[in-house]
Amino acid sequence: MSNTSMSNTSMSSTAMSSNTLTVVDREGVTHDLEWEPDQSMMEALRDNDLPVLASCGGTASCATCHVFLEQDVFDTLEECSEDELELLVEAEGYRECGSRLSCQVGFSRDLNGVTVTLTPED
Amino acid sequence: MTQNPVVIVGAGHSGVAVAAGLRSRGWEGGVLLIDAENELPYERPPLSKELLKDGASDESAVLRKEKFYADKGIDRLAGVTAESIDRDSRTVLLSDGTRQAYHRLVIATGSRARPLTVPGAGLPGTKCLRTRDDAVELKRLLVPGARVAIIGAGYIGLEVAAAAAARGCDVTVLEFQDRVMSRVTSAPVSRHFEQLHGRHGVRFVFGAAVTSIDGGQRAESVSVADGTVFPADVVLAGIGVLPNQELAADAGLECRDGILVDGDGRTSDPAIYASGDVTRFISPIDGTSQRLECIQNAQAQADRVAAHITGQAAAEPEIPWFWTVQHGVRLQTAGVRHPEDQTIVRGEPSGGKFSVVYLREGRLAAVDTVANLADFRAAKRLIAQGAWIDPALAADPAIPLTEATSGTPNHSDADLAAARS
Ligand SMILES: Cc1cc2nc3c(=O)[nH]c(=O)nc-3n(C[C@H](O)[C@H](O)[C@H](O)COP(=O)(O)OP(=O)(O)OC[C@H]3O[C@@H](n4cnc5c(N)ncnc54)[C@H](O)[C@@H]3O)c2cc1C
Ligand code: FES
Repeated sequence: MSNTSMSNTSMSSTAMSSNTLTVVDREGVTHDLEWEPDQSMMEALRDNDLPVLASCGGTASCATCHVFLEQDVFDTLEECSEDELELLVEAEGYRECGSRLSCQVGFSRDLNGVTVTLTPED
Repeated sequence: MTQNPVVIVGAGHSGVAVAAGLRSRGWEGGVLLIDAENELPYERPPLSKELLKDGASDESAVLRKEKFYADKGIDRLAGVTAESIDRDSRTVLLSDGTRQAYHRLVIATGSRARPLTVPGAGLPGTKCLRTRDDAVELKRLLVPGARVAIIGAGYIGLEVAAAAAARGCDVTVLEFQDRVMSRVTSAPVSRHFEQLHGRHGVRFVFGAAVTSIDGGQRAESVSVADGTVFPADVVLAGIGVLPNQELAADAGLECRDGILVDGDGRTSDPAIYASGDVTRFISPIDGTSQRLECIQNAQAQADRVAAHITGQAAAEPEIPWFWTVQHGVRLQTAGVRHPEDQTIVRGEPSGGKFSVVYLREGRLAAVDTVANLADFRAAKRLIAQGAWIDPALAADPAIPLTEATSGTPNHSDADLAAARS
């Protein structure tokens, strides 16, 4: 497992540099952002000025980074930790298939071009 | 420097959040962060948690990537401190001898560890924990078999106790009060964590007033008032913090154990704001004067400052909250408990998962949840609503907290009057 996935792919450096992310904010407005490989999804949202409070700094403690993902994307992700799930089920608008804490979603090539919807604030 | 510079002194959680908030709110003037520390501003909570773990990196997650500051046009002066404020000329004198003019000044200097003042406190081997350097140094000392004496059973002391025990140290916690975290939580939670630490080999000595640290070249033991001497290779003082308010106080701003600020984060000088651990303010929730030492407050106040400077509305205030992780067990607290609150335990502490809810005049005022994030989330919302709680329902963990509300106050008017007097 010492080889990273990067070493056995041969994508061009521009394609490797970042993902794109489409974000639908709470007013329904769409934003296209770059998602850098060294950012969690929460960081990409927050650092691009989307209103994600992230008041625990990404430690699955606050749920202020709750997002909805499209089901087919959601299904490809690793399962939630217990902490994440506990926070999510109490969150405003929780969806069994779709809700994630964006701080727990790491960068991955497979997530290039996904659409993320910010959840209602509670 | 760009027009209308906002100069922010201190690049911790709050200072960085002010800078980011100004930009996300569209501030077009200059933003300058004065940072006493040298590296990129970093997260503090991991310093007493993840960073101390065996094999963990000495890096603590940064608050924002380096690129963020450049992209947002946030200037940073690192390794420089603000020495004094000249309010008449609206300038700050820096330790490198330069002066920075400000349109608005934000003091986000945070707090420092309260120093231990007993004889011998300066001996090598005696530490406190506030910065990354402190954490890295401490970690080097936490070698297997080291005798570690921790003074103070608050959050920091207990998180370090857990980390030290996990690293194979011999840990003794000396606490003046009769239980752990007594300032911030109730007895059931204290007892639970005491037992948890006990199971991991941490010893507690309560009612212990430390009188000196003794040793030749370095700390060798800690003495307490009853004459007991505890041998120690490492001594950690976790006895609270002091606000870094001197800059403000010297400039004549009103301070009282914290820089006094209003709901918009303004000090007694309209061109100067303050934010984070260094401030004292009147809680919009219960009307008491508070100084909060948590990330949530550092961020929320930063947002209020950024909102006011840009002439916008601030976000709805979040209920203050805090978390700690000890031996892998997570305690989350929402709201600010008063010792006289009615205390209701939900669930069986021995099962490892429970909550304690605190009612004030029948309303939910605060909650402590142990390995129970569902209650935490629910309680946060109910506290914000000022929900009335039925104590009998709340005591039953099988009933979701959101269903433990009562439409009406559960106290008679006479009880309420008595509680208020
Ligand atoms: C080890 C540890 C663990 C913690 N764990 C948690 C936790 O789990 N949850 C939680 O909510 N909170 C936690 N806290 C508390 C939290 O870190 C603070 O509430 C928060 O950092 C406050 O932010 P601040 O910006 O006000 O101050 P700080 O983050 O302390 O930043 C202040 C900065 O100002 C700088 N400064 C001071 N004076 C000057 C000057 N004159 N010129 C220039 N710079 C100056 C300081 O060097 C510092 O970098 C923890 C704190 C510590 C130390
Ligand atoms: S940032 Fe707090 S849970 Fe994600």
